[in-house]
Amino acid sequence: MGKSGFFSLRGQVVYWCAALLLLATAFPFFWMISTSFKPLREIFVFPPHFLPTRFTLANFERLFGQTRFLTYFRNSIFVSTSAVLLTMVIATAGAYSLTRFKFYGREKIASLILFTYMFAPIMIVIPFYVLIRKIGIANTHLALIMAYTAFCLPFSLWLLRAFFQSIPMVLEEAALTDGAGRIRALIYVILPLALPGIIATSVFTFILAWNDYIFVRILITSDELKTLSVGIADLYNATVIDWGMIMSGGMLITVPVVVFFIFVQRYLIAGWGAGAMKG
Amino acid sequence: MRLSPQKAGIALISPSLMVIGSLLVYPVIYGIWLSFFKKHSFFPEQRFVGLGNYIYLLTDPEFWTSIWYGTVYSVSTIVLQILVGIAAALVLNEAFRGRNFVRGVVLFPYMIPTVVAIILWKWLLNSQFGLVNYLLLLLGIIDAPISWMGKDHIMTSLILISVWEFFPFVVLSVLARLQTIPPVLYEAAKVDGASAWGRFIHVTLPQLRSVLFVVILLRSIWMFTKFDTVWLMAQGGGAEKYIRTLPVYAYMRTFMYYQAGLGSAIAVVMFAILVIATAVYFRMFRREEGI
Repeated sequence: MGKSGFFSLRGQVVYWCAALLLLATAFPFFWMISTSFKPLREIFVFPPHFLPTRFTLANFERLFGQTRFLTYFRNSIFVSTSAVLLTMVIATAGAYSLTRFKFYGREKIASLILFTYMFAPIMIVIPFYVLIRKIGIANTHLALIMAYTAFCLPFSLWLLRAFFQSIPMVLEEAALTDGAGRIRALIYVILPLALPGIIATSVFTFILAWNDYIFVRILITSDELKTLSVGIADLYNATVIDWGMIMSGGMLITVPVVVFFIFVQRYLIAGWGAGAMKG
Repeated sequence: MRLSPQKAGIALISPSLMVIGSLLVYPVIYGIWLSFFKKHSFFPEQRFVGLGNYIYLLTDPEFWTSIWYGTVYSVSTIVLQILVGIAAALVLNEAFRGRNFVRGVVLFPYMIPTVVAIILWKWLLNSQFGLVNYLLLLLGIIDAPISWMGKDHIMTSLILISVWEFFPFVVLSVLARLQTIPPVLYEAAKVDGASAWGRFIHVTLPQLRSVLFVVILLRSIWMFTKFDTVWLMAQGGGAEKYIRTLPVYAYMRTFMYYQAGLGSAIAVVMFAILVIATAVYFRMFRREEGI
């Protein structure tokens, strides 16, 4: 669309709308960060201060000293990373198969996968929980990793399939006629080209696993096995709410997501066109 | 080792199929099976009751209330997030300084953990110390602090927070599509003397139809089955029964009253409503979209 100058009426409207949008989305985060650095006394002053007049790390000290926050953090990292690795190995092989080999029922499989993409967690958790208890792996990280892998697989497959489709078949055929085996062609020709797609898909999977609440709530009962979202939610519900500590925890959970997000922003629009993410 | 393409293809897709089959499709089918039983959530005993759970639901006022709240919640959040999302995407499609920065920041609410979004908003909306009440009082919009988590306002708060959390999905999908509309179309409309509004109605909207078809479908499915946002919002405060939507009710029956059979029946009803609504939606709009 045409450039609208700052001084035209249209330009003015656009700038004000953009400012409003920025305020609505960023201000809550600013407030969380500001609260997490305020001493307890200042959190409850009226009228509120926008910036802490005296910066303090006391909220973070309480978070690390008096709660299991670090354990939850470690659990979240372990569970999310394992789910990503497992999902990516399975989904890359699957997407490669769906785009490079012709076999009976291929299109049917693709549409089945698209259909399961629409399953919401609440439709699965009840029977999933009963089954997990039957197998006897309730309250383990394995159960969580299985849940996330299953849950992330449909959209990962769908996304990677779109990325693989955009890589010209000719490149691979050239490598094959040059005498490279299929596996070598895959490793040296296809995977490097598909890397942006694989990275973007991994990040979406990671964020989904990292942000999940319902599966942890249901599958994990021991406090030392909980991941961050349930850990923080329980801290919040425990006693008198320590807003400073809760806000500092909320900020720390958000950091990895934001870092990853900035890291993949380049690939985001492309991935989105192919139907990324769920939630 | 040389495999035929047929075998190699099937070998590579089979792990995906095994996982999806055993951990997604099988649980859903098992859930339907469970809904015909009276079963405790922890203990293995179960008793076949046929349609008993479904018949019970028909006379259960809490079930009907949860259908009502679920409909209010999903319809209003979907309409609002689509409207806000399209408007925001149109703004972000204009050229202005700092556009990429704003585009990035606008997606934050969708990326952060739901638990953080809810706790953050509970703090902002806190009736005693919250910033929102403070600003509204300062601007003279209200005379007395509003109890946002109280029974009169909790549904409104929940809807607004959900729109805030999920509208970025609409923005991103619509924005990706807006960038592919050929500028020629706008120039032609301008030559024909179309106003800005006229160009939006006659050029932009028709181009957005196919992406909106998919976005509305996905958002509807996810809002209707949304659990964590609603559940976390309901924790504490004592007004949880005023936002008890269908997914929350299914969860409560299973994990607080330990009635796994009844909980499954609720989930099945939810699934059935979705399937029927999706079929109607496809029938109404699909042919025109050519998808």
